[in-house]
Amino acid sequence: MKTVQKKRLTKSQITARNEKIVSFIVLAFASLLFIFPLIYMLGTSFKSDLDLQMHPEKIFPTPGQWTLKHYAGFFINSEGQLDNMPKWMFNSLWSTSVTVILTVLIDLVVAYVVVFLRWKGKKVFMKALFAWMAAPTVIATAPGLVIFQTVKSTLGISSPAATYALVYFWLTIPGIVGVFNVILMHNFFKTIPVEIIESAKSDGASHFTIFRKIVCPLAKSTMLVIVLFTFAASWNNLQGPQLLMAGEGQYIQTITVALAESYGGSSAWGAQGVSMATAVFSLIPVLIIFLFTQNKMIEGLASTGVKG
Amino acid sequence: METTENITNKDSFLSLRHLVKVYPNGEKAVYDFNLEIAKNEFIVIVGPSGCGKSTTLRMVAGLEDITDGDVYLGDELLNYKPCKDRHMAIVFQSYALYPQMNVYQNIAFPLTINSYPAPVVNQTLLSCAQIRALFEKNQFDEIKNLFGQHAKSAKGGALAEEMAVILDIEHCSAKLLVKLLGSPDAGLSGLTARLDELEKAERAKLEASGVKLNEKFHVLNEDGAEKIVTRKLTHYEIKTKVYETAEKLDLTPYLDKIPKELSGGQMQRVALGRAIIKNVPIFLMDEPLSNLDAKLRLTMRSEIVKLHNRINATTIYVTHDQIEAMTMATRIVVMSRGFVQQIGTPEEIYNHPVNLFVARFIGSPSMNMFEMEYDKQKNAFTYGGFNIPADKDFKGAYKAFYENKCKEFEAINANFDLSARESILKVLSILGETKAKTKTAKKQNFIVRTIEFFKNLSKKKNEGEEEVWLKEKTIAKEKLEQLRSCVESGKKVVIGIRPERIEIEKVEAGKKYDGYYVTEPALAELLGGDYNVHFEFCGTNMIGKLDARYKLNAGDKIAVKFSADDLFVFDPVTGDVIK
Repeated sequence: MKTVQKKRLTKSQITARNEKIVSFIVLAFASLLFIFPLIYMLGTSFKSDLDLQMHPEKIFPTPGQWTLKHYAGFFINSEGQLDNMPKWMFNSLWSTSVTVILTVLIDLVVAYVVVFLRWKGKKVFMKALFAWMAAPTVIATAPGLVIFQTVKSTLGISSPAATYALVYFWLTIPGIVGVFNVILMHNFFKTIPVEIIESAKSDGASHFTIFRKIVCPLAKSTMLVIVLFTFAASWNNLQGPQLLMAGEGQYIQTITVALAESYGGSSAWGAQGVSMATAVFSLIPVLIIFLFTQNKMIEGLASTGVKG
Repeated sequence: METTENITNKDSFLSLRHLVKVYPNGEKAVYDFNLEIAKNEFIVIVGPSGCGKSTTLRMVAGLEDITDGDVYLGDELLNYKPCKDRHMAIVFQSYALYPQMNVYQNIAFPLTINSYPAPVVNQTLLSCAQIRALFEKNQFDEIKNLFGQHAKSAKGGALAEEMAVILDIEHCSAKLLVKLLGSPDAGLSGLTARLDELEKAERAKLEASGVKLNEKFHVLNEDGAEKIVTRKLTHYEIKTKVYETAEKLDLTPYLDKIPKELSGGQMQRVALGRAIIKNVPIFLMDEPLSNLDAKLRLTMRSEIVKLHNRINATTIYVTHDQIEAMTMATRIVVMSRGFVQQIGTPEEIYNHPVNLFVARFIGSPSMNMFEMEYDKQKNAFTYGGFNIPADKDFKGAYKAFYENKCKEFEAINANFDLSARESILKVLSILGETKAKTKTAKKQNFIVRTIEFFKNLSKKKNEGEEEVWLKEKTIAKEKLEQLRSCVESGKKVVIGIRPERIEIEKVEAGKKYDGYYVTEPALAELLGGDYNVHFEFCGTNMIGKLDARYKLNAGDKIAVKFSADDLFVFDPVTGDVIK
């Protein structure tokens, strides 16, 4: 009779298996911890008013009581007019996109100049950038606000359109000079073998051609990392816009500012469900970006030496 | 160097004159490099790593600034021309393929980004004439059949491309042909009528605008010459050229693969293809075979030589492998520590090495070197009781050599300037002795540098440099004294002999070996055809070759003989060859 022999594991295999089990448990717990608020948010946004009052402890609404009511008022309000929600979305989207595009462009150009061009003071420049990173961004808030107000009053800006332009200029342009991103790109460019650039030169390529045809295609994954970082940071930015938009009308707000205000109960959107629905809505772009970039992003992080 | 001066008169194509490279940290990498290269030559620069051979190549390529000296291409000074305008093809050790592009794009890259001069062609008339010629030459039905077959698998542009290749006509003609054959009334007479119509219309248009053509339908200038414009190559032109190049290098099956998926040899061929397709007069290769395994290196080596013979580009090839140098080069440049040691054909370098370094570096197994005493009275080299008689005229050569050298070193000692220091450095580079370290080369961190800076403020300038000079000054003095003593009486010399020139015989009982040195081999390596016999002589390890027909067993003795003709005699003080 044949006996089915159970394979005996070696000691190292047992350790490996145990390690796997332990790390799986830890990671599962951690990811639950992170994802729970998101799921609660999603569930709550579908709850009816009664459920909101009676069962805040439940993650999802009572069966049969699911409602899309909180989402319904987003686009057309009760008076049949275009609601503020699309405006906020638009404000957030365009300002974020501009910030992202400009950031990536500037990072590419600066990193290229630092890594592939020869000029004096290159090392000092890079050291200054590193030193700059040490300064917390918060310290620029108060002076920035003062300058903003001075500019505003000097130029005599008071009309809504002009205020809108100034505020969004102030939001997008300073946002594009993130030192960290430049260093990320710089580190990646350093990993490109210099022979590739040299051989392109000998093939007759100008710096612009090398930049566009060789370096940029190679930097795709790092570009995606920067896109993701910048997009999330710019989209979620609350403090800056809040300060600049204080005292202005709702037309000017970004989605995050609006969300913060609605939860504060200062508007008609004070209801819990609506605020959750708004939050869900505001997350959609970030999720989309993440879905498209995450695989490449991990690759990009690995290649720039910033291991995740 | 003597050899260089001889070649200067040659009508040179690429000339490197007194090239010097000093790196920003003060390290001098190349000293006074002179080379005149004729057209179609295959120059190999060879030397151990760090000898400045790659730096020289990079200066020629324009990738490295030239500290001093000139590079001329014909009469044109290249020093200040950026790399991209020098029209040279470089092949790197790491292949330097563009990782995000496939093989086709890699090879096509130089063509896609550059503009090339080309005559302006009137495409309509050219295609009409070509199609007419086709109709006359071939059966119309055949062409139509061909068209029918290919129209099933390909459409539009691809179809035109296929037809162009099959019928050997221009792309524009093929396009027109496809258009004509695709029309509903595709009979021979109908199509000829259409061609007539087209031609007539085009001629009328040209007449109206006053443009003249020659018989090849190239547009002419007012002065009757062909009108030339620089333009980007068309997609079709690039495609044909890439396929042509890929065919030459057997790369056609791999055209749509990316470099990651290729083996080392294939990547190297792609790099070569990218160089060939540019159709430039100068090829620069920086150790292109070093990353390949031994067998592949052999095949690629012959492939590169064949390629050079076929395309006849002037090539500068850098390597540390002396076998590559010997087999490929028309001329070899041997370098050590930034100095050119010898320039010459492989035969010259092998049979007449000018100094110890070249003699040691070239040849495998390398030349045997041993020290012997030169006895002036007997005119023979002695060691222990063993004598090797020297040539009759060696005595005179010996004397003349040392007298010359003494004069040279006296001049150096009398006026110890920069060039004198460099000649001392060169002597050291020949002998392989360590040179005095320059202080600046070390990299230190910021804080240490700052402290050093303040310390140095109190010191005098150039103090460090003077210390180094002092060391070389003493070396120069020592050398002069040694040389002087050599003139008066016979002294030690270094004798070199190639392993294959040592006459070795297996000792047989009852035979007398006069003038032979009899010993027991320390080791005999069988290589197949012959043995590499290791034995001890004059206190040094020697290698000789013995035909494998004579079987060597443990305990067998060998008799060794050196004939005076095959000996190289070097001066141990300066390392230069005496005879």
